[in-house]
Amino acid sequence: MSLMKAPENTPVWVDTARCKACDICVSVCPAGVLSMKAEPASTLGAMIEIIAIDSCIGCNDCELNCPDFAIYVADKKADNIKFAKLTDEAKARAAAIVENNYRLPENYGK
Amino acid sequence: MATREIISTGNDLNAIAAVDAGCQFFGGYPITPSSEVMHTISDLLPKAGGAAIQMEDEIAGIAATVGAAMSGVRALTATSGPGVSLKAENLGLAQMAEVPMVLVNVMRGGPSTGLPTRVSQGDVRQARNPSHGDYRSITLCAGNLAECYTEVVRAFNLADRFMQPVIVLTDETLGHMHGKAMIPTLEEVKAGIVPRKTFDGAPEDYRPYGVAGDEAAVLNPMFKGYRYHFTGLHHDAKGFPTEEITTCKNLIQRLEDKVMMHTDELELNEEFMLDDFDGSDGEVLIVAYGSVSLAAKEAIRHLRKDGIKAGLFRPITLWPSPADRIRHFTDMTKNVLCVELNIRQYTEEIERVSGRLDLEGLYKVNGRAISPYEIVEKVKEVF
Amino acid sequence: MAFNYDKYLRLEKMPTLWCWGCGDGVILKAVIRAIDKCGWKQDDVCVVSGIGCSGRFSSYVDFNTVHTTHGRTVAWATGIKLANPDKHVICVAGDGDALAIGGNHTIHGCRRNIDINMIVINNFIYGLTNSQTSPTTPQGMWTVSQKAGNIDPTFDACKLAIASGASFVARETMLDPKKLERTLVKGFEHRGFSFFDVMSNCHINLGRKNKMQSAMENLDWIDSITTPLSKYEKLTPEEQLNVFPTGVLKHDTEVREYCDMYEEIKNVQQGKRKVITQDDFEKKI
Repeated sequence: MSLMKAPENTPVWVDTARCKACDICVSVCPAGVLSMKAEPASTLGAMIEIIAIDSCIGCNDCELNCPDFAIYVADKKADNIKFAKLTDEAKARAAAIVENNYRLPENYGK
Repeated sequence: MATREIISTGNDLNAIAAVDAGCQFFGGYPITPSSEVMHTISDLLPKAGGAAIQMEDEIAGIAATVGAAMSGVRALTATSGPGVSLKAENLGLAQMAEVPMVLVNVMRGGPSTGLPTRVSQGDVRQARNPSHGDYRSITLCAGNLAECYTEVVRAFNLADRFMQPVIVLTDETLGHMHGKAMIPTLEEVKAGIVPRKTFDGAPEDYRPYGVAGDEAAVLNPMFKGYRYHFTGLHHDAKGFPTEEITTCKNLIQRLEDKVMMHTDELELNEEFMLDDFDGSDGEVLIVAYGSVSLAAKEAIRHLRKDGIKAGLFRPITLWPSPADRIRHFTDMTKNVLCVELNIRQYTEEIERVSGRLDLEGLYKVNGRAISPYEIVEKVKEVF
Repeated sequence: MAFNYDKYLRLEKMPTLWCWGCGDGVILKAVIRAIDKCGWKQDDVCVVSGIGCSGRFSSYVDFNTVHTTHGRTVAWATGIKLANPDKHVICVAGDGDALAIGGNHTIHGCRRNIDINMIVINNFIYGLTNSQTSPTTPQGMWTVSQKAGNIDPTFDACKLAIASGASFVARETMLDPKKLERTLVKGFEHRGFSFFDVMSNCHINLGRKNKMQSAMENLDWIDSITTPLSKYEKLTPEEQLNVFPTGVLKHDTEVREYCDMYEEIKNVQQGKRKVITQDDFEKKI
C-alpha cells in the first residue's frame, strides 16, 4: 500500500483501493460531500465517491470514522485550504443521501 | 573446572543457579514442592537488579515469564506437575514463537492433585509433549544436588542456543534435600554464559524468523530499534501470520530440525561403572535418572561387592533421548533393568530406541523413594 | 494532510482483515493518534493483543508487538513491563478475551495497579469465532451458542475494574473518535493501570442476527445504551439500569504504581532501606 499523498488544493480525497464500502463516512458527513456509487468490481458492489467537494467544511468526521484509512481531510493551516461553510442546501443533500441508502438519489437537484 | 562448596537444598540451588546464569525475571505461583524456588529467587533477583513476581495463577506465571523473555531478558518459572498442565498452552506459544526460557518442574505424585508432598517421576512423558502440535521438547533431569545448580545453568545456555523453552526436571526428594554440593565458581559460570544470537544490521533488513532450515530464530531484544511481531500463529520470516503452504511447512520442519539435527549439542549422560562392560555374560545394565540414580549407584556398589557386574546408564538430557548411546549398551548387554518412579514412562523410550521388548523394570508409584536394597533385590530376582 | 497514520502502520499488511465498518479500525486510528499526542517513540512502545478480531490489532502497527494466547494479554504485559519499567505497554483485547477467559488476569492487573494501558474492545460478542455469547452480550439477544436466546447475565466491565483497584477507568464508544482519542491520551499519560471499556460495533456477527445489519444501526444501538457520566448521575435507578455512563469514571493519581513499589523491594534487597512494613502504607487491610 502506498503512502497517502495530499493532492494540491484538495480538501478531501479518497483511496478507493482501501475503501471497503461500509457507508460510515457517508452517514457522518454533514454536508453531503460523499456518496456511494455502484461498482460491480468491488466486493460489496459499491465504492465511495466524492460528489460535492466544494461543500466540504473540513469537520474531519469522515476521516475520524473511517476504519480503513481510505479517506483523508486536508489540514487547514498546513495545506492552506479554505473549507466551505455548512449550508442548508448541503444539509438537505446529506439527508437525502442517507435516506436513499447512502446513495445520491438519481436526478437529485435537477 | 574451578568449584566451590555450598550447603543448600535442590530448590534453592535452582534459584541461585538462575541468578548466577544471568536470569533477570521470574514469574511464578506457589505449588508444592517447588515453592521454595520462588521464595529464594524473590530475594535474590531484586538484589541483582532483576524482578520476581508471584502472579495470580500458574498460567499468568508463565505468561509473564514468556513476556519478559520476549522483551530480551533471561527468564525462569518453577512449578510442579499440575502447573505444567496449566502452563501447556503458553509453553506451546514459546515453542512456536521461539522464545528462550527455563521451566523447572519439581515432580510430585500425580495425576491431578496426586501427592503434593511426595516424590514421583510421573511427568517425564508430559515433558516430551506438554503442548499440542509438532515441536521438540528439550528436557534435562537433575540427578543430584550439584545438578540442581549445573543443569539450570546449562538450561539457560541451551534455551538461548535453541531459542525455545527448556524444561529442567527435579523432584520432591532433590528439591527438599539439604546437603553439600560442589558447584562451579561464579566466575566459571559467568565465563560460560552464551547469550542468544542477535542481528545488528539495518532494521529494514532484519528477518527474525528468516533463518536456514536447521537454525533457531534470531530474536533481538525489544525496545532497541528492531520492531517485529511475535505470534503463536504460523508466521513468515518477519513474524507475521500466514497460511501460505510452503512457509508453513518449512516453519514446522525447522522447529523439528533445529533440535534433531543438533542433538550432539544437547546430549549429556553419566555412565557409572560401565567402563569394564564388554558384552560378557552376567553384566547388568541399570537405566535410571533423577534422584532414583542416587539409589541405583548405591545398589551397584552393593551388587559389585556381591560379585555382580552392574553399571548405570543415566541420561541427563532426557528429551531428545540419547538414542545412539542407549543402543550401544542395550545391543551389548543382555540384562537390562529400568528403574523409575512411574509406570514405564522412560522404559517405553528405551524400548523404542533399542528395539527390545524384554527389558526388566522396577516401578514405584506410591510416593516413596526407591531404596538401593529394593534395586539389589530386584536384580538378584530377575537376572 | 490532517494526520499521517502511515508512519505508525505496517503498510505491507494493509488492508486490514476486519469486516467493512468494523470499529476495530477506528479504534486503531484513535490509539495511533493518542500515542502520537503523547510523544512516545515507536521503539519505546509494546502492544500486546489477545485472540479474536481485536487480536489482529498488533500486527498492523509498527511497534514492538506480541500476539498472545487467549485471555493472557495482561499477564504477558506484566512480565514485559516489570522487566522494562520505563517503556510503554498497551494491551488490546476483546470482551471475551479480557473478561471471560482473561477475567482473572484483568482483575489482578487492576489490583496491582501496574502501569499498563488496557483497551477492551467491547463489541458484546465473540466476533472472530462467529457469534458466541460473551460476558457482555445482553440477555435475550440471539447468539450461536444460545439460539433459544441468551440467558447469561452481563457485568459492567468498568465497575469490575474499579472494584479491582485500577486507578484510571474510562468508557468510550465508537460514536465519537475524537473523544475516544482524548480519553486515551489521559489514560496513557496516567501512571497506573488504565482501563478502557471501548464499546464497538460488530454488525456482521452480533448485529445481523439481532436486527442491526449495518454498522450505523449497531452504532445507533450503542448510542442508545450510553450517556455521558454527568447526565447518568442525574438519572433514576430504573433509568440507570439500561444505560452505561461514558467518560472518565475514575482517575486516582494518589495510588502507588506497582513498578514504583517494586523499586522499593530492590532497595530493601540491596540494603538501601529497611524492610517494608504496614507503616509504609495508608491502607492497612
